Amino acid sequence: MRLFLNGFTFQLRLARTSPDTFQVCVTAPLYTLIFLSISEYGTGPDLTAYAIVAPTLMSLWILALSVAGTALTEDRDLGTLEGQIAAPAPMGLTFLGRMCSVVLVGLVAFAETWLVAGLVFGRWLTVPHPVVLGACLLVTGAATAGTAGLLSPLFMLTPSARTLQNTFTFPFYLLGGVLVPVDVLPHWIQPASRVVFLSWGADLMRDSLAGPAVHNPVGRLLVVLLLGAAGYGVGMVLLNRVVGRVRRTGTLSQT
Amino acid sequence: MSAVETRRLVRSYPGRKDDSGRVRLALDEFDLRVERGEVHGLLGPNGAGKTTLCRILCTVLLPTSGTAEVLGHDVRAEAHVVRRSIGIVFGGERGLYGRLTARQNLRFWGALYGLSGRELRRRADVLLERTGLSERADDRVDTMSRGMKQRLHIARGLVTDPPVLILDEPTMGMDPVAAHDFREMIKQLRSDGRTVLLTTHDMREAEALCDRVTLVDHGKVIATEPTGAVGALLAHRNRVDAAEVPPETLAALRAMPGVEAVEAGADDTVRIMTVDAATVTEALRLLVAAGVTRLSTAPPGLEEVYLSLIGKRGMSVRR
Repeated sequence: MRLFLNGFTFQLRLARTSPDTFQVCVTAPLYTLIFLSISEYGTGPDLTAYAIVAPTLMSLWILALSVAGTALTEDRDLGTLEGQIAAPAPMGLTFLGRMCSVVLVGLVAFAETWLVAGLVFGRWLTVPHPVVLGACLLVTGAATAGTAGLLSPLFMLTPSARTLQNTFTFPFYLLGGVLVPVDVLPHWIQPASRVVFLSWGADLMRDSLAGPAVHNPVGRLLVVLLLGAAGYGVGMVLLNRVVGRVRRTGTLSQT
Repeated sequence: MSAVETRRLVRSYPGRKDDSGRVRLALDEFDLRVERGEVHGLLGPNGAGKTTLCRILCTVLLPTSGTAEVLGHDVRAEAHVVRRSIGIVFGGERGLYGRLTARQNLRFWGALYGLSGRELRRRADVLLERTGLSERADDRVDTMSRGMKQRLHIARGLVTDPPVLILDEPTMGMDPVAAHDFREMIKQLRSDGRTVLLTTHDMREAEALCDRVTLVDHGKVIATEPTGAVGALLAHRNRVDAAEVPPETLAALRAMPGVEAVEAGADDTVRIMTVDAATVTEALRLLVAAGVTRLSTAPPGLEEVYLSLIGKRGMSVRR
């Protein structure tokens, strides 16, 4: 817990001096404006819940990609990664703390998008299942932080990490059911969607904003958590392998 | 048990080959023993293997073969124990978070070494005071001078109060005043009973601080000697210092067989370098006969030994 908190406060302090982290606080309301503007002139069903859920999850995912993508490579460039490898503390817990603090910023996007829908379009969305929504936001946030643990060593190993980062945005919004529910995607792609934690989180979040009773919320939350934990677990194995390899080959500066 | 010991330590880097296509060794059968409480200097040109050794000792790099131990713990098999026993100070500006303050940096690193709460805060404050950074403790590191950053590096290395401290060119970029303060700090660390392994290019620093020095080149140990006795490696090459030497005597000295060089110094002084003891006697006789009264003889200093054993390589760096 001590290491987790160390990473958490450390990243918050870094974020205070880095406008990049708060970029999503600007983009999320803009996405809501775009989605609700389209919805306003359409004749289909009310898509307010979609216009709030999608920017929230997109913000979380963007932060996971950008911060996880740069955390280790920045540390390597600053020469601080060497110090972390030489420290007795395992790097994984500090890293998880860092990602959780970033995700907390991402969750602010939910409040922003909800406010924009109400203030600009007069669509004050009621929350019939606030406990499920709150739990879903927290668990999806935790899963995002966990998945960042997988992305970070992956980006470190990739020579063109920036390209990979860009590639991982919109395809994952679709695959993760962020923009449209997974059920409306082609059948052949749905099994792949179900291994992406975002798809479970997005469905549950939308259900918590709809009227009818939410089906099996605990089970679905557990799936989100398990997928996030699996991402974190694989990520830590990968990170240990990367560190082991650079200790063997002496290529820390070239990784 | 010694503080640091390496036996037949070898480290190679894949892809680094010499002209004949053989893998170049950064460390080649490297044997070193640093006793507890000792300040030990590691001297050598760029590419000699000093930083590679430091990286192996702090477990960032694995040996290719041979062994390296810190306080009896193997850096490969017991890396987690070794990491708790050492403090590392890398030279230069890298290794700190520029966007955080000095205090925040120390607290972050301290937590990675198991400190927390009041103890962590107290330790950070003590070290900021000790390194003279108290007044700038809450300033961002990227607003600090190079010397201040280096002092913060040292504070970081001491954050866990380690018994063994590894300093890789710690005075790099320091101004003379900061370098002097640093030397005082190292003397304090020695009086605390800490072991210090120090790599440096600065011969005066090594002479002022180190109990023993190891000369390193091409990944090999050239010699390990107590700093005061290092001149014995070139005992036959004594030097004579003299002042107010008449020009004709200087010319005679330059022409004397066995005199390697006559170098002019400040305040009308000259240094006569000889290749054997007999020449020293001859040079002294000539100087006294010329009426020179300000005379002294001394064995070669560390710098002369270094240049003699390792060679005047100028700007060239080993690939």
